[in-house]
Amino acid sequence: MAFWAKGRSVSAAASFDLTVKTYAVFEAVSLALDGKTVLDGISLALSERRVGIVGLNGSGKSSLARLLNGLRLPTNGKVRLFGADTVSVAAQLPRHVGFVFQNPDHQAIFPTVEEEIAFGLTQIGHDRTSARAEAVGFLRRHRCEFLADKPIATLSEGQKQLVCILAVLVMQPCILVLDEPMTSLDGLAAKRILQKLQSLDQTLIMVSHDLSALTGFDRILWLEDGRIRMDGVPGDVLPAYAADLDRRAAAEVWEGDGL
Amino acid sequence: MIGRQMTGSSWLHRLPAPVKLLLLVAGGAMIFPVTDRSLLLVCLAAVLSLYASLRVEGLRQLLYLRPLLWLLVFFLGLHGLAGTWETGLSAVLRLLVMVLAANLVSVTTRMDDMINAIRPVFAPLRWIGLSPQKPALAISLVIRFAPVLLFVYGSLSDAYRARTGRATNWRLIAPLALQAVRMSENVAEALSARGGSRGLARCGKDTPQTGRALRLSTNEKG
Repeated sequence: MAFWAKGRSVSAAASFDLTVKTYAVFEAVSLALDGKTVLDGISLALSERRVGIVGLNGSGKSSLARLLNGLRLPTNGKVRLFGADTVSVAAQLPRHVGFVFQNPDHQAIFPTVEEEIAFGLTQIGHDRTSARAEAVGFLRRHRCEFLADKPIATLSEGQKQLVCILAVLVMQPCILVLDEPMTSLDGLAAKRILQKLQSLDQTLIMVSHDLSALTGFDRILWLEDGRIRMDGVPGDVLPAYAADLDRRAAAEVWEGDGL
Repeated sequence: MIGRQMTGSSWLHRLPAPVKLLLLVAGGAMIFPVTDRSLLLVCLAAVLSLYASLRVEGLRQLLYLRPLLWLLVFFLGLHGLAGTWETGLSAVLRLLVMVLAANLVSVTTRMDDMINAIRPVFAPLRWIGLSPQKPALAISLVIRFAPVLLFVYGSLSDAYRARTGRATNWRLIAPLALQAVRMSENVAEALSARGGSRGLARCGKDTPQTGRALRLSTNEKG
């Protein structure tokens, strides 16, 4: 949607039921972008607290994640979040489903940490004065008050990603969707971010190329060419995916999007 | 903002954003017809003294403006080719004073205060059914991402040097423009993921609301 255009107007009333156990349901979902099918006939129901998504680049992981936040709407089929069709409630989804991007430099909108956190609070209805005060309190509760006045441009990559996660968490979403949040981080920062994520009460859905980060998860979806190739517990899916990577790497001919 | 946001509580930070913007506009209008280089040099000294009043951190901001020098040299060169050195020198001095002043305002002003100060200018947009906070946000985003684009330019410049051994040249303009477009798409997506620009509409109104209880209409523009 063009930046200057008015927002999507829909007639259906929002009908979230935040108490349902199965928070996300995909019904034969297909998604085409620029004429290319990136997801093809995905059907699944998610009720686990920790869901990981793996797959090669171009397999549809990020598109699947974006369907959960309403950043993408299905070309065919339906995606239901908390019982509501995402087409009808796309404008309200960010309130309940937070989204953290791979690159913090593309996510942080404001120059300083406190302003970035306060923006999330204004999004959920706080006025400017209370948002400023609450932002500082929120940072304090997360033991990050020392970051409050810092320009985001001066933070380390790990701190930037932490701020992006906090900026989403401050909106009190029920679900946090993360699209490769540790890709740009060094080993220590990645561990710290993972610890932070594991400590959260929110339901986590995380796209990752780092298989070790997903070992403690409840369920793993392995995507390939826009379809679910395997769906199960990490103990089954991750070794199978790793073996497939080894097989492809050993192949004499480069396959698919191998580089 | 070409430099980095300065946090602090200096006299410039405490000056209300609308006052700073009005002074900036008034100063720009006054300096626009000036061609006397001596007078322009006095203006330059005055604006530099404002940076100095913010002490070390203020003077450090001037370092971030180094890439601007190339632009000024380019302008001066164009005037040189046209045989109008003296006019070019006045134009470059005027531009330098205005950019320095604008940068000083942006690095000492919170972005939400800036949006709040700019929004009334776009209030007439309501008459044609458009939202005033969107252009205000757009201007603020330009301010926010100027240093990020400079960083991207620095990375491209390093990559070019690493493979050619030569200094940066005009060929980097195209990849920089492409990266800027890609970045704008990413930022728009990130803004959408957090509910769009509707929260900014509340930035200027101190009407208390309880965040958790707020329910947004499906017809809300965003």
